[in-house]
Amino acid sequence: MAPVLPLVLPLQPRIRLAQGLWLLSWLLALASGLILLCSGHLLVQLRHLGTFLAPSCQFPTLPQAALAAGVVSLGTGLVGAGASRASLNAALYPPWRGVLGPLLVAGTAGGGGLLVLALGLALALPGSLDEALEEGLGTALAHYRDTEVPGHCQDKRLVDELQLRYHCCGRHGYKDWFGVQWVSSRYLDPSDQDVVDRIQSNVEGLYLTDGVPFSCCNPHSPRPCLQNRLSDSYAHPLFDPRQPNQNLWVQGCHEVLLEHLQDLAGTLGSMLAVTFLLQALVLLGLRYLQTALEGLGGVIDGEGETQGYLFPSGLKEMLKTAWLQGWVARRPAPEEAPPGEAPPKEDLSEA
Amino acid sequence: MALLKVKFDQKKRVKLAQGLWLMNWFSVLAGIIIFSLGLFLKIELRKRSDVMNNSESHFVPNSLIGMGVLSCVFNSLAGKICYDALDPAKYARWKPWLKPYLAICVLFNIILFLVALCCFLLRGSLENTLSQGLKNGMKYYRDTDTPGRCFMKKTIDMLQIEFKCCGNNGFRDWFEIQWISNRYLDFSSKEVKDRIKSNVDGRYLVDGVPFSCCNPSSPRPCIQYQITNNSAHYSYDHQTEELNLWVRGCRAALLSYYSNLMNSMGIVTLLIWLFEVTITIGLRYLQTSLDGVSNPEEPESESEGWLLEKSVPETWKAFLESVKKLGKGNQVEAEGADAGQAPEAS
Repeated sequence: MAPVLPLVLPLQPRIRLAQGLWLLSWLLALASGLILLCSGHLLVQLRHLGTFLAPSCQFPTLPQAALAAGVVSLGTGLVGAGASRASLNAALYPPWRGVLGPLLVAGTAGGGGLLVLALGLALALPGSLDEALEEGLGTALAHYRDTEVPGHCQDKRLVDELQLRYHCCGRHGYKDWFGVQWVSSRYLDPSDQDVVDRIQSNVEGLYLTDGVPFSCCNPHSPRPCLQNRLSDSYAHPLFDPRQPNQNLWVQGCHEVLLEHLQDLAGTLGSMLAVTFLLQALVLLGLRYLQTALEGLGGVIDGEGETQGYLFPSGLKEMLKTAWLQGWVARRPAPEEAPPGEAPPKEDLSEA
Repeated sequence: MALLKVKFDQKKRVKLAQGLWLMNWFSVLAGIIIFSLGLFLKIELRKRSDVMNNSESHFVPNSLIGMGVLSCVFNSLAGKICYDALDPAKYARWKPWLKPYLAICVLFNIILFLVALCCFLLRGSLENTLSQGLKNGMKYYRDTDTPGRCFMKKTIDMLQIEFKCCGNNGFRDWFEIQWISNRYLDFSSKEVKDRIKSNVDGRYLVDGVPFSCCNPSSPRPCIQYQITNNSAHYSYDHQTEELNLWVRGCRAALLSYYSNLMNSMGIVTLLIWLFEVTITIGLRYLQTSLDGVSNPEEPESESEGWLLEKSVPETWKAFLESVKKLGKGNQVEAEGADAGQAPEAS
């Protein structure tokens, strides 16, 4: 029944361990705070960009899992700071003795589990963003004109604000707008020959133009924005659409959004990894401190050398003892109770 | 006769000193807050100095920055004094400096109050610089190839998009200036020639606005050109159409932004001023109560602390007397010197 990974801890190293643990716990609390801030920021961003992600996309679960993991590791950090502070003070330690064991189990299982889950999501989910954005942006662009259809009436405003803020146009470029009817039929004059021609010229009866909405305009351009007749080289003086120019935003919103969200997920993932490392160190240190102090019987200032360990015995023996304890605790209980109850009753009747 | 006398025993004095020490360190934090508020305002004003003719007054942010630094310095000094006040030996070092220091503190509080008032009152000058600057900015909108003004188009466009505004007072300001550069006009077109001939200065004026005036919340794609011509667009009435372009003028938008900023800074500064006044009063009580310990061998004795030794009118009279004596003192000495020299001469 040899203890697993024992470590001899006389008084001075115990004190150093407690002090180092205190510092690590506050670092863990700081890292958890940063995770909470970062996942909160990502949640807010997703609320604004939610229309451009397909509804089946699982990406929003990442900041939610990171939020939960952050809360648990913040708790672990605070517990670690309190316990290591208390272990240096004989008067403060006794209340911690009973609580520390279950807290360590909760921290390892709950905190560790949540962190691993969040880390896994941070690695796996960004891959699904590409398809989700493709579908979401396509729907948004197709419904740009439906400003009076319930459920899609905000799409125009959201797409315009997206293009204005993120400096992008269309899905992969401005020509995406040529394939979508973005002018609502309500504002098309049915008696205008040009409108009739355009509608009749394609199979689906859509009014397609070679023009883009105003939000594609690039303010850095030296000339006032050209939005119409963009495929015609002779429509505007001194303007050749085939040459690179600054008239419209060049990037497509798909690339811009993908990069933006992947960056955020990457930052969150690296912070989760750092927190996982810190939490593992804090839990290990706490376990060693707890077992070392248990060896002294809870007396802080004992000069004697004690051993700190991870587990009192190997894994197989631990499982055996746990199983036996559970079995013993369950079986004899009904047999012991009646003889236990009978003598007190007799005492009472005698008295 | 003393103003607001309070009795202090040893324990109370110690508590006062400790409380003041803590408050002084919070006040250093408050000084840092004032400093960063001033810095923030200065940066915001510099960011938009293009549309303010580069002539905006930086008085408010500069004074906030100065006050923040002074507050940090004075309050950390006061904290040190309060810390030493509990030790009679160390306090004896500070004793001669405390009265002038308190006078400087009172002056500092008065100036802080004036700066807080300035935050609320100096809006008017900003309005004038804004209106001039925006008018010039719009005039130079088309000069994207003139060095020194080539960035004006980008600045005005980004301003209108960010602040959701159009023109100086409204979108009609754009109808009165030529915002399309001559380089991009097709002079062989009849329409262009007509427009240029139709006004005295030979400018190409349109009833159109730049794209940055467009409101994304409009249900129809933005109408930027021929805004006042109802027949040019299907199902359009420019008198009733409100969502097409931004309605607010950029002068009002920017003014409201800066006013809100300065108002909130003024409120924060006033709150910090109240805090500073409390600290100064506490410091005065500490000084007078420690001076009132009659027997330095018995630090445990009771003493009295007061704000002013005599009542306010008497203190004011005594102050005037000492100022007059300072003036008369030189005269008496001069007369004595003359009298001394005269007998010698004679």
